[in-house]
Amino acid sequence: MVEESYVIYAKNIVKRFGNIVALNNVTFKLRKKEIVGVVGDNGAGKSTLMKILFGIHKPDRGELYIKGKLYPELTPKKAYELGIVLIHQERTLCPHHSVWRNIFMARELTGRFGFLKIDEMKKRSEKALQELGLISRIESVDTPANYLSGGYQQGVQISRALVFDADVVILDEPTNALSLKEVQKVLEYVKQLKERGKSGIMISHNIYHVYPVVDRFVILNKGMVVGEFWKKDLNLEDLSHIMLSIAETGKIPPEYSKINLAEKPDSKEVEIK
Amino acid sequence: MKNIKSFIERHKLQVAIFGIFLTLWLIFYIVNPYAFSNPYTYTALLSVTPFTILPALGLTYIIIATEVDLSFSSIMAVGAMTFAYIWQDTGSALLGVIALLVVGLIAGAFNGILIAKLKVPSLIGTIGTMFFWRGIVLVVTGGYGMSLHKIENTYVQKIFVGTFLGIPSQFIWTVLITIVFWLILNRHKFGAYVYYIGDNRLAAKMVGINTERTLLYIFSLEGMIAAFAGFLVALSLGTVWPALGDIYMLKSIAAVVIGGTPLTGGVGTIFGTFMGGLMLDLIETGILAIGVSGFWIKVVDGVVIVIALIAQALIREGELAKIRRKKEALAKE
Repeated sequence: MVEESYVIYAKNIVKRFGNIVALNNVTFKLRKKEIVGVVGDNGAGKSTLMKILFGIHKPDRGELYIKGKLYPELTPKKAYELGIVLIHQERTLCPHHSVWRNIFMARELTGRFGFLKIDEMKKRSEKALQELGLISRIESVDTPANYLSGGYQQGVQISRALVFDADVVILDEPTNALSLKEVQKVLEYVKQLKERGKSGIMISHNIYHVYPVVDRFVILNKGMVVGEFWKKDLNLEDLSHIMLSIAETGKIPPEYSKINLAEKPDSKEVEIK
Repeated sequence: MKNIKSFIERHKLQVAIFGIFLTLWLIFYIVNPYAFSNPYTYTALLSVTPFTILPALGLTYIIIATEVDLSFSSIMAVGAMTFAYIWQDTGSALLGVIALLVVGLIAGAFNGILIAKLKVPSLIGTIGTMFFWRGIVLVVTGGYGMSLHKIENTYVQKIFVGTFLGIPSQFIWTVLITIVFWLILNRHKFGAYVYYIGDNRLAAKMVGINTERTLLYIFSLEGMIAAFAGFLVALSLGTVWPALGDIYMLKSIAAVVIGGTPLTGGVGTIFGTFMGGLMLDLIETGILAIGVSGFWIKVVDGVVIVIALIAQALIREGELAKIRRKKEALAKE
């Protein structure tokens, strides 16, 4: 079965919010050990798609396969168990709490009667932060999250993927509102994830942040997949040319249609029940 | 020495409140050394302070989760009344205690449903239930008090409000319950969720914490402990009266806030709340013991609350400046 060869295979996903069609027949695939960049303007449906892949939203129509199995009722908890970690643009961190508590948030290691195994959580946090080269910078796993700069906060979120040995890391605008230097740090962490054999999805409206780290691009526009390209087929200039053309005309310039992997987008609007 | 220093550094707020407590005590001691070397003064203090501290413990969880509960003062009366009726009708004190805990739990759960499920703002919602439960007490009792004098010298009275090795039983209960609350908040998964809900509710939801259920539980817990506190009040004074609990509403909230749990939630400690409650009652006991008019109690309360809050504000301001410096340094690397 075709679904089985992908870590994530979302097929013909439709999601509406009231009268707005946020996702219109979107098909999205993620292979093992690849990093896919999902790009598109604000409101293209990128975040909605990611929230569906993580079980925060339920699709109105379409099928979601994870590691070859169909999950009609995915929840964030289930997604976690399946090895998916979502790193959200609104940082999912508790500012007043320590780094180790943040890493294990909602997935605490507990012993008898639900009491916390604090020492073990600290140890494992420290190991993950060491692997990412973060520990020397943030002093200790007891440091509260709000003592860290934005880039390091994203680093802490990304280390969740290492601690739980997640296979798939979804990064939703991880470079949002970060300074240039901080962006470099985050991109470095993403590269490290790839070196460790993880799959990743990185969403951004900034192609300059996505380009250096991904293998493949999926371009969303108004809730539809309009383009899909291998990075090797495009340079950064081509990509920015495509994005500009989409912003102006809504279409991909014809000279790129040969290398466009996206299935002909279904131009029909989904009829509203 | 280094350990002590880092301990103080990490628990600045608690150290500050402990310092304020000791200072107050010292002042009282200097003004009236006779009263403050008399063990009866301390027995008096320890026998009344549980009524402030107990509801404040549950309230600490609620305020950490950025909600508030004003109805617990009325639930105290409901708890005391439930006990009185069940005990009078069945003669079984045990049944009475079980009943009051269940009724308290239900009253608290009702708040929880209102706030967690129906999304009523807790300030308004619990003002509503505060009136409701007070009204129920008035309707049921007809506005009359109920005497519990027959319970004097029974085992029930000894267990809950007697003395053990010279210490008031209700204070021993309070210490035990405080330890349990501390353990849950600091060493249990549930306590971690309480903190996360207060610190960043959206994040808590996104990582899959059931925020509604957690809120339902903490409001239920507060209902139960408030009912129990009301029962202790009635038992120690030998009577249930319709306005029982009223004076604890602002006092317990003040204990939580003086103890270093800000109304903005996310942080806070059980130790702070315990000390906060103890301090407010020390003021009361102290002023009566040094023989000044009881009218001064509120004045000193006010001054101490303001001093404690200023100390907290200064500590937090220092902390924020430190955070800013660290953040900037990290961002520049």
